[in-house]
Amino acid sequence: MSPVLAGLFTTAIQLSSQQRLIMMLPLCLSIAVVYKTTRCERLRDVPIAAGILWVTILLGMAAVGVGLWSLFSFFVQRV
Amino acid sequence: MAIRVVLVPCSGVLRLIDQSEPSFIKMPIAGILSWIVPGLGHIYLGHRRRGLILLVMITATFWSGVAIGSVQGTVDPTERKLWFFAQIGTGVNAISAVILNRITTREDRANNRKPVVTNWVAAEVGVHYTGVAGLLNILVIFDAVSRADPSRLRRSRASPSGGFS
Repeated sequence: MSPVLAGLFTTAIQLSSQQRLIMMLPLCLSIAVVYKTTRCERLRDVPIAAGILWVTILLGMAAVGVGLWSLFSFFVQRV
Repeated sequence: MAIRVVLVPCSGVLRLIDQSEPSFIKMPIAGILSWIVPGLGHIYLGHRRRGLILLVMITATFWSGVAIGSVQGTVDPTERKLWFFAQIGTGVNAISAVILNRITTREDRANNRKPVVTNWVAAEVGVHYTGVAGLLNILVIFDAVSRADPSRLRRSRASPSGGFS
C-alpha cells in the first residue's frame, strides 16, 4: 500500500468540538440517501426524497437539542 | 433463461423478472453478497444503478470515518466491541480496516513507536461514521433479501417515494 494512502487512514484529523457538529451534516445525508434508495421504487425520486429527509433529520435533531438544552437550563436555575 | 414481464401496480413500470433461479436460492445469495460488498446483492438481482448508489454511499461513509478518526482509533474489535458489531455490517470494508489496524499496530511495535494518541473528538466522529455505515448496510441486506422475493411485487406501495414508513 502506498504510504500516502496508508497515512490517510492511519493519521486522525484534528477536530474541535464545534467542528464535530458540522460533521453531522454529511453523515445525515448518507443516512437519508441510503434509506431513500432502498425505499423509492423509482430512482429519479431519490434526490428530492433524500433532500427532504435530510432537512427533516437535521431540524428534528436541532429541535431535540434545543428541547434538552431548555430542560437543562430550567433545572439548573431551579437548583 | 425464463424471463417474465411484470407490471408493477403502483409505479406503472414494466419490469423484466429473471425466473431462472428460484427465490429461495436468490434470497440468501443476495443477502450474503450485500453483506460482503454493500450493494452487490442489488447488482446481482439486476438493480445495477440502485446497487451502485448503495455501494458508493456506504463505502464512502465507512472509509470517511476511518480517515477522520484513524484506523487505530475507530475500528478496534478489542477496545470498541459493541461498535465493532455495528461496523462488521459493512463486510469486507470492516475486515480490511481490522487488517490495516493490525498491520499498523505491528509496525509501531516493530519500530518501538508509541501508539498514536488520536484526537478523541475525531475518533468519536470516526466511530459514529463507521458504525452507522454498518447499520445502514444491515438495512440494505434486508432490502436485497426482500427484493429477491417475487411476492414483493404483488404488494403495492402507498407512495412512490416510500413516505416515512
